[in-house]
Amino acid sequence: MDKNYSYHEYNAMLNLYDEDKKIQFDKDKLAAKAYFLDHVNQNTVFFHSLEEKLDYLVENEYYEQELLDLYDFDFIKKLFKQAYAHKFRFAAFLGAYKFYTSYALKTFDGSRYLERFEDRVCMNALMLARGDKKLAQDLVEEIITGRFQPATPTFLNAGKKQRGEFVSCFLLRIEDNMESISRGINSSLQLSKRGGGVALNLTNLREAGAPIKKIENQSSGVLPVMKLLEDSFSYANQLGARQGAGAVYLNAHHPDIMQFLDTKRENADEKVRIKTLSLGVVVPNITMELAKGNEDMYMFSPYDVERVYGVPMADISITEKYQEMVDNPEIRKTKMNARHLLQTIAELQFESGYPYIVYEDTVNEANPVEGRINMSNLCSEILQVNTPTTYNADLSYDNIGKDISCNLGSLNIAATMESPDFGKTVDTAIKALTSVADLSYIESVMSIAEGNKKSRAIGLGQMNLHGYLGKERIHYGSEEGIDFTDIYFYTIAYHAIKSSNEMAKKTGSPFDNFENSKYASGEYFDKYTCCDWQPKTKKVAKLFKDAKVDIPTASDWEKLKKSVMKYGLYNQNLQAVPPTGSISYINNSTSSIHPIASKIEIRKEGKLGRVYYAAPFLDNDNLEYFDDAYEIGPEKIIDTYAAATQHVDQGLSLTLFFKDTATTRDVNRAQIYAWKKGIKTIYYIRIRQLALEGTDVEECVSCML
Amino acid sequence: MHVVKPINWNRVEDPIDLDVWNRLTANFWLPEKVPVSNDIQSWASLTDQEKEVTKKVFTGLTLLDTIQGTVGAMSLMPDARTPHEEAVITNIAFMESVHAKSYSTIFSTLCSTQEIDEAFRWSIENPFLNKKAEIVIDKYDGNDPLKRKVASTLLESFLFYSGFYWPMYLSSRSRLTNTADMIRLIIRDEAVHGYYIGYKFQLALAEETDARKAELKEYAYDLVMELFENETKYTAELYDELGLTEDVKKFLHYNANKALMNLGYDALFPKEVTDVSPAILSALSPDANENHDFFSGSGSSYVVGKHESTTDDDWDF
Repeated sequence: MDKNYSYHEYNAMLNLYDEDKKIQFDKDKLAAKAYFLDHVNQNTVFFHSLEEKLDYLVENEYYEQELLDLYDFDFIKKLFKQAYAHKFRFAAFLGAYKFYTSYALKTFDGSRYLERFEDRVCMNALMLARGDKKLAQDLVEEIITGRFQPATPTFLNAGKKQRGEFVSCFLLRIEDNMESISRGINSSLQLSKRGGGVALNLTNLREAGAPIKKIENQSSGVLPVMKLLEDSFSYANQLGARQGAGAVYLNAHHPDIMQFLDTKRENADEKVRIKTLSLGVVVPNITMELAKGNEDMYMFSPYDVERVYGVPMADISITEKYQEMVDNPEIRKTKMNARHLLQTIAELQFESGYPYIVYEDTVNEANPVEGRINMSNLCSEILQVNTPTTYNADLSYDNIGKDISCNLGSLNIAATMESPDFGKTVDTAIKALTSVADLSYIESVMSIAEGNKKSRAIGLGQMNLHGYLGKERIHYGSEEGIDFTDIYFYTIAYHAIKSSNEMAKKTGSPFDNFENSKYASGEYFDKYTCCDWQPKTKKVAKLFKDAKVDIPTASDWEKLKKSVMKYGLYNQNLQAVPPTGSISYINNSTSSIHPIASKIEIRKEGKLGRVYYAAPFLDNDNLEYFDDAYEIGPEKIIDTYAAATQHVDQGLSLTLFFKDTATTRDVNRAQIYAWKKGIKTIYYIRIRQLALEGTDVEECVSCML
Repeated sequence: MHVVKPINWNRVEDPIDLDVWNRLTANFWLPEKVPVSNDIQSWASLTDQEKEVTKKVFTGLTLLDTIQGTVGAMSLMPDARTPHEEAVITNIAFMESVHAKSYSTIFSTLCSTQEIDEAFRWSIENPFLNKKAEIVIDKYDGNDPLKRKVASTLLESFLFYSGFYWPMYLSSRSRLTNTADMIRLIIRDEAVHGYYIGYKFQLALAEETDARKAELKEYAYDLVMELFENETKYTAELYDELGLTEDVKKFLHYNANKALMNLGYDALFPKEVTDVSPAILSALSPDANENHDFFSGSGSSYVVGKHESTTDDDWDF
């Protein structure tokens, strides 16, 4: 049949088997080709030369003059040449489609493209190198080869005159007073407008029914605040680029916890229903231990806790103070069965995917920095310490505390394993992320600006683990799969710390309060200097050997430890593994380090509609190494994440996948297993329901098992 | 007199009843779940013509769901073979009313009251839509229970799809994607309804004489043709100006075949005229592997979970 299909139709064929029951990978290539011929090329503004193009873009306020002024034109020209010489092609239709729909610079009326992929890469390199020519060239090399991929806010905004911020994530505390609540809402609006997801910790807010000015039964609790936040996030979007998105966290021992969860019920009343705000529950060890004994758990009034202890509830370890608080008549409390709470959480996860979970004590035990971690972010991978802010009566700052921001970027594991210089790849990525921290100072939320200035926290992530394992014919979650994950992250941690140490040495400026960290005491390094960390399986040892990637030895670590104790680290935090949605499609990776959701994934987002995406490296001959996450099941995912977690100073977005035959008990068991294995946070729970036999679409790849 | 006995779900005569009951209850949803308001920007970007078609399509669908919720499903009740089937039918009837209401949710989110009223007026006056309703209601009024089932299956598995085409088409081009999610939830339900009623039809048919079987077969194919003829005209009126009529017709062929297969009959239309655009076909799969971005929609694959308490063994640490 010689029919002319549109690119959408070619792409959709990826989801339909051919006559021999084979997946039609070639059709996706045709889709990408047709997309360029029929759409991109016809809608791209043509320039005769780079000079003409840059002049036009600066004059018409598309590009930032100040950025280009950091370099001489000859160099810029050379850099673009270097990028174009790679002859970059998108490997999948979705990658190209996503790039041109969401990232490429367009004319102000949105009708024509002004950039190709290479141009975006160069603008990122120029911005992130801050005038350092060598670094700019290194960055072009790392990004165009797909080894390093900046996160969306950076990749999208770099070099543009009309833009949002480069930072991905913001985390805000709210304290138990009206000034802090209204500041929290204001900050959410400001940060949403500039880009990036915002998470807020509600644990300190007094519960429904608590007294206000000593008059009983006055407070209406956390729910109305959630409603206000939800509406704020819907209102503010980033120049229409994406919707504002927010999350709220609450401690499991907050008296409003059940109402908090019930906002996600399928049949919740409209007044209390939360549709687009994400929820997270902070679970301390004591909750798990009470559940083990099938005992009741007490929830404590944050109002009383703060009165008794003189610090907000979020700054107290519930596990540590539990018995004391139970015995204290000054603290009012309510109780319920601990297993009942955890089962309710599982029920809600079935219905809505929420809440996220933060295992508070695990997180704090692993935290090398002084202070307390009491929340996470919109994607549950950022874990940093914070301190409260206080306000004057006119809402100005009394004492600016420390709130959290984090800019992210990820390495493509498969590409990084092929890097000619593994250490340099990591070093270049760390430098790029640090640039964003150094360049950012968000004045509209001073607690964020100050926190960033002090901590310079960054989050180097990883993606394409399953793609890499499949390519090397290793099953996800197998002994070899876990062994690889362990050694890979171990090696990354070494190079990341080394890079940050070198920057501290060079600038003579370690992050604020470095001296009280476990890095400064050397304690952090104990697990690496005590014993040799080597691959346990022959296959993994060979992979590293063949790739010429050196695995650091105990004596390498000993040397690094000495240098860190002497010069410090430039960044308070270094690693965080985000879920990588959009950028993994552009980069042709599997998302993050979790297994593929499907051999052929149906991707649906606001801006894209439904598009089909084949797992990278998948072909009709290696299907068996590409079992999907539902087939692989929660245990192997948890085992894989546990191997990585021990080398990551912040968190990792961990999604668990269940078939619809699962019950709330299966979800609970997975949560218990994750907690036992030292997992720090759990992100979404996804449930897959298969079509009832006889009702499915004929010959559809994604419907088949 | 119809004797009512207490329904005992521990003595299920036909396991399919329980299967379908479980499926339908797990699939329960309400229109408020879907953040249709996220489509307001996208709606503004549609041309006037596209907006017109959208409104017409949804009023048409509202009519069909109203019929099925108030007349269709209920007319199947007296012929239920088991008490459990009766229970399933009450669920079907209720969900049809949920569907009818969900179109109103879409309308009230995207359109002004005046526009909504105009669209409903169009649906009341449109001859082909009226004809479609007339044919089906007429069949529901008849006193042959098997013929009622044929009509019901055709409505569930065939007649809806001229309307479903449009939101699927838009969503495959990144427009009104949350609305499409809602429609996909409806499709998910209708697929089970059509399958179930068709299955019950086949059970009853097996007990009939050969002459009756022949009569019903002829009846089914005649009815498909009668509806199809009207449906083509309706389709042309909706889609001609957009140049989509040919493709929608293929989609009608495809679904008419599916409806007949649900009834246990052979496909009527040959493969050459059922090659629906792959974008539409793929867009139909509501369940399975959609990996949506939580920040811009709610997706169409969440279910109400089964509760089960943990035991002490689970807490062994």
